[in-house]
Amino acid sequence: MRMIEQDQENDDSTEVTWEDQQKINSFSKLNTRMKGFEAKVDAAKQEKEALDDLSTELELADEDEPVLYKIGETYVHMSLPRALKRLEKDQTDLDVRLTKLSESAQQCEADMKQLKVALYAKFGSAINLDE
Amino acid sequence: MASSSVLSEERGARGIPKAPFIEDVEKYLGGADAEIEGPLKAIQDAISKYRYMDSNLNQRRLSLEEKIPDIQKTLSMVEYLQERREGKTSQSEDDLEDDLEDEEPTSSSKPLKTTFELNDTLFAEAELEDTDTVYLWLGANVMLSYKLPAAIQLLRSKLEAAETNVASLTEDLEFLREQLTMMEVNMARVYNWDVRRRRERRIAEEKGGKSTSEKEGG
Repeated sequence: MRMIEQDQENDDSTEVTWEDQQKINSFSKLNTRMKGFEAKVDAAKQEKEALDDLSTELELADEDEPVLYKIGETYVHMSLPRALKRLEKDQTDLDVRLTKLSESAQQCEADMKQLKVALYAKFGSAINLDE
Repeated sequence: MASSSVLSEERGARGIPKAPFIEDVEKYLGGADAEIEGPLKAIQDAISKYRYMDSNLNQRRLSLEEKIPDIQKTLSMVEYLQERREGKTSQSEDDLEDDLEDEEPTSSSKPLKTTFELNDTLFAEAELEDTDTVYLWLGANVMLSYKLPAAIQLLRSKLEAAETNVASLTEDLEFLREQLTMMEVNMARVYNWDVRRRRERRIAEEKGGKSTSEKEGG
């Protein structure tokens, strides 16, 4: 916990009302949610990078060689055109997921920003909402 | 009056007790001269209870979230097998299937070759016969055979159930987080109130002391 100087201390009029408490609660909830989203978005971005690398590799691959495409935990031998088609589908699915996650994360952030403004306005240095 | 548990009887979803909101710190403690030790300890107990519940639920959620990708991988493999089967049957029915089939007339009649993990960093090649049955591991040393469509259905419903569980656990966790925050804020307010009260008392004593010494001196 942080100790503040006596002259920085809020006077008794800045009591915590029920609305303030609810705002603080919402902020804490959104903060937790945000952390979850960040983790998922990072994971999805890594997958996307992997798929992008894969498509670069496949462009240079030999037409006649079978491609070992990973489905689940095993590698299935398939022809290059097949593999490319499957890769495209996987990329599209991933993009849809990534967009949804990013949108939710952004919404979360916007809500948090609003709450920050309101709470800092009322409590000033008596409250800490940043990492 | 000092209750051993500061948590109200009210329970939120799935038995998580709701934290009380302290409207007026002085009233809650029972007057300007009340001791804060008792309530403060009760609040700290409540906070540690909440933290314990929080870590419990988090662990459950994490283990579920680990299972979900596994189910997804199994599902995509079974769906792939199904696709191949459908591709084969439709090719025999209608020779004007999509271009892919035309380019490689033997692709579907070739057996499915896979390279699978025999052990860590050790792979082996296997040829899969054309089959309409898969065996699914249901856990607890139980494995059942299913026809492809039934397997797909089962896996999909398992996936849905797991995702629903994760969602409800997350909801609980968020509710829990809110109650935890309220208790922490309560604790801070009680503590601050006490600090302020001590300061005011000290100032009042000093003032009282000064006036008496002035009287004596004057």
